[in-house]
Amino acid sequence: MHPSAVCFFAITLTSTLTRLSDTTEHSDAAGNRPARSESADALREVLPVLLAVLPFGVVYGAIAVQEGLSVAQAMGFSSVVFAGASQLAALQLMGLGAPIWSVLLTVFALNFRHVLYSASLGRHFSSFSFLQKLTGFFLLVDPAFGAAEVRAAKTRLTASYYFTYALVLYIGWLLATLGGAGFGRLIEDPEAFGLDFVLPVYFLALVMTFRKRGLFYPVAGTSLAVSVLIYWLFGPPWHVSLGGLAGIAVAAIVGPQPRPGAPEGEERGVEGP
Amino acid sequence: MTNELVTADGAWSAATIWLVIIAAGALTYLTRIGGYLVISLFGSIPPRAAAALDAVPAAVLTAIVSPVLVSGDWPERIAILLCAVLSLRLPLIAVVVIGTVLVAGARAFGF
Repeated sequence: MHPSAVCFFAITLTSTLTRLSDTTEHSDAAGNRPARSESADALREVLPVLLAVLPFGVVYGAIAVQEGLSVAQAMGFSSVVFAGASQLAALQLMGLGAPIWSVLLTVFALNFRHVLYSASLGRHFSSFSFLQKLTGFFLLVDPAFGAAEVRAAKTRLTASYYFTYALVLYIGWLLATLGGAGFGRLIEDPEAFGLDFVLPVYFLALVMTFRKRGLFYPVAGTSLAVSVLIYWLFGPPWHVSLGGLAGIAVAAIVGPQPRPGAPEGEERGVEGP
Repeated sequence: MTNELVTADGAWSAATIWLVIIAAGALTYLTRIGGYLVISLFGSIPPRAAAALDAVPAAVLTAIVSPVLVSGDWPERIAILLCAVLSLRLPLIAVVVIGTVLVAGARAFGF
């Protein structure tokens, strides 16, 4: 895949989407910038993020075909869910032979953070058309949220900026999935390459990016203790749901905490789709 | 799960996988637009509910990882603990690469 091809598709799609509404097409009396420079800003900011996200798409694609998904299924999953952590978790649970409801619950739980994103970002979508809002929320991944919040704090969040940023990530995610799925079929002994260890270590590193959040250690510690206990007593897959619920219960009981440390975008920017 | 959705060896059938993919996509979209809908309808998310939502990633991801400490062999156990320490300093992708290489290396040497 070639980055400039990704950008080209993104700009084409973005201009199609922004044409649906007049409000972002032209520079206006309030001094807003034309759509083209909005897109250029978004491209410049998204490319480093794209480079960090692509390897995970490749890993996801490779693991998906190793777990028995077809290339079409691996691509379908990436195109409708577009959330790497939950896609990988779903594969893990499918591999364990977990019941369908527990896979769906895990996907829902892992993606629940987006509720907070859309609650916050919805305020900055006020100039978007109805269709742009529907599409914009569909593309609302961690880095897009971070970038849009930062943009909205500095200036006005335009559809050109947002859709360029988000669509580059979306198209990149699909191409990386495709690349990984093609590559994954070539590997005959995934364990020799440690591929079965990629998911645990990925989730571990992902968890640690949340460590500046209030209550991280009580929540993660409780989840660790309960999930290990359940796993030891009953085996998979209940350890995920029950361990997770125990950690969430701690946060719900203790209640809201003041947030020390990094702002949202900085803290969450590394998660990828 | 009904029997038609599972193949003879207990693996998921193609129909089941597609069902899960579509349902997972619908649920994910619900989370992505849900906060906006809730704010539009009610004005705000209760603070205690927001705190619980905030804890979801840390709680669920920890629960996915921790069985490695029970079920893994010694190379996996050591690698996961080492990576926990490394992730305090290194970016996410570096930790993933180091952890995977460590485990692959340990296996190559017959551990």
